Amino acid sequence: MKFILNIWRQKGPAEKGRFVTYEAQDVSPDMSFLEMLDVVNQQLTLKGEEPVAFEYDCREGICGSCSLVINGMPHGPERGITACQLYMRRFSDGATITIEPWRARAFPIIKDLVVDRGALDRVMQAGGYISVHTGGAVDGNVLLIGKDRAEIAMDAASCIGCGACVAACKNASAMLFVAAKVSHLASLPQGEPERSRRAKAMVAAMDREGFGTCGNQYECEAVCPKSISVRFIAMLNREFLKATVAEPGPQAERPSDPHAESH
Amino acid sequence: MIRFFGHILTSVGSKVLVALSGLALAGFVVFHMLGNLQLFEGPEALNTYAAFLRDMPILLWTARVGLLGIAGLHIGLAVRLAVLNRRARPVGYAVREYRRASLSSRTMAVTGSLLLLFILFHLLHLTAGWVDTSFPDRLDLRGHRDVFGKVVHAFQNPLFVAVYLAGQAVLGLHLSHALSSSLQTLGVEHPLLDRLFRGAGPLVAVLVVVGNAAIILAVAFGLVRA
Repeated sequence: MKFILNIWRQKGPAEKGRFVTYEAQDVSPDMSFLEMLDVVNQQLTLKGEEPVAFEYDCREGICGSCSLVINGMPHGPERGITACQLYMRRFSDGATITIEPWRARAFPIIKDLVVDRGALDRVMQAGGYISVHTGGAVDGNVLLIGKDRAEIAMDAASCIGCGACVAACKNASAMLFVAAKVSHLASLPQGEPERSRRAKAMVAAMDREGFGTCGNQYECEAVCPKSISVRFIAMLNREFLKATVAEPGPQAERPSDPHAESH
Repeated sequence: MIRFFGHILTSVGSKVLVALSGLALAGFVVFHMLGNLQLFEGPEALNTYAAFLRDMPILLWTARVGLLGIAGLHIGLAVRLAVLNRRARPVGYAVREYRRASLSSRTMAVTGSLLLLFILFHLLHLTAGWVDTSFPDRLDLRGHRDVFGKVVHAFQNPLFVAVYLAGQAVLGLHLSHALSSSLQTLGVEHPLLDRLFRGAGPLVAVLVVVGNAAIILAVAFGLVRA
């Protein structure tokens, strides 16, 4: 198969980017999208040109590293998968494919198609955890959790933090990501003690990072590789309202950076 | 109090207030439509109803000032959120494909702005009477202001019919995303009832538009005459 690729090239965070057209020759329909890019990069390297920088890790749809907007859709035209699980047979031979990075103020471009998603990590640091005293492992089945609750928590926990929700949102809002994290922990007894603080702190952190606000268009759900439901956004809104009304408490203060030493 | 304002300034806090004020305004729009349907009962019913609303100055002005305040809050916060949203994506996509987002959800800022213009026009036209001075304020046989005559006179003019029908289209588009979206923002969600919540917006929007358009068209086509 043959493709014409319009790829966003940008040398560095401060440089001006532009689209460059490449031709991908001899592509097997069984190649994944990333393998196709590997082939293109191989050819570029042989020609002595700079290969296209793109992010990947597991290549099996569980790490959340790949971050390509393919023909205007994060992770490409298929639903419920990441870009690495997308195969070239999905495209017609000779098609023109536009490849762009995630675009959001909170995700500055590092190079070409690679963006810095540290903003999501900082939102997690603000409250996406439970505080427990470490010690001996807890016995199994000490905390019994109903099947329905476990399912809800698991659905939310399937978020791999890729940021496609932000990329798809008209407003570059991270609500689905934050909603998944907050709902996951709020559904379980382990997350119960800190749920109010967590909802407020994570929403405050989300705002601080410069994400937009949710417009309830549900594009995020449609592109999420784990098909996480926007119901969790309603749950987050409820958590936040409950936290504000029932336990006004202090407005979430800026948490101390737990990784301050490492950077 | 400082804490309270702190929460309003968060994205979710602002959205909740936009949703609540929007629901209040939508509630007014629904009752406004239902009240105006009395046009079909004839001049007496509509003029008596109008007089009933005007006869209680305290209630009238509380409602007017309240609605103005709510609308101001709604617009102010919505503009603030829109500015934040624009800032969140300084560089847009070259290619953009939507999967879920409805036309109505994508045009909320545009329809909201147009709606504001339409409401201002409507107030200047039928409430203040500055737009069209060709119809003199007069009293009907019972001594009530002749609202019925004024409405009929207005919609016999094709220009006003066009403007008001366009206004209804904009109102319908805005409402159809607004109501369901408000419920989501207020955290109303249920595995079984979600379909109802998602359908509530378009349903109410259609009812309001059909009700209002019926009044306009009935007069325009001469089914209701003075």
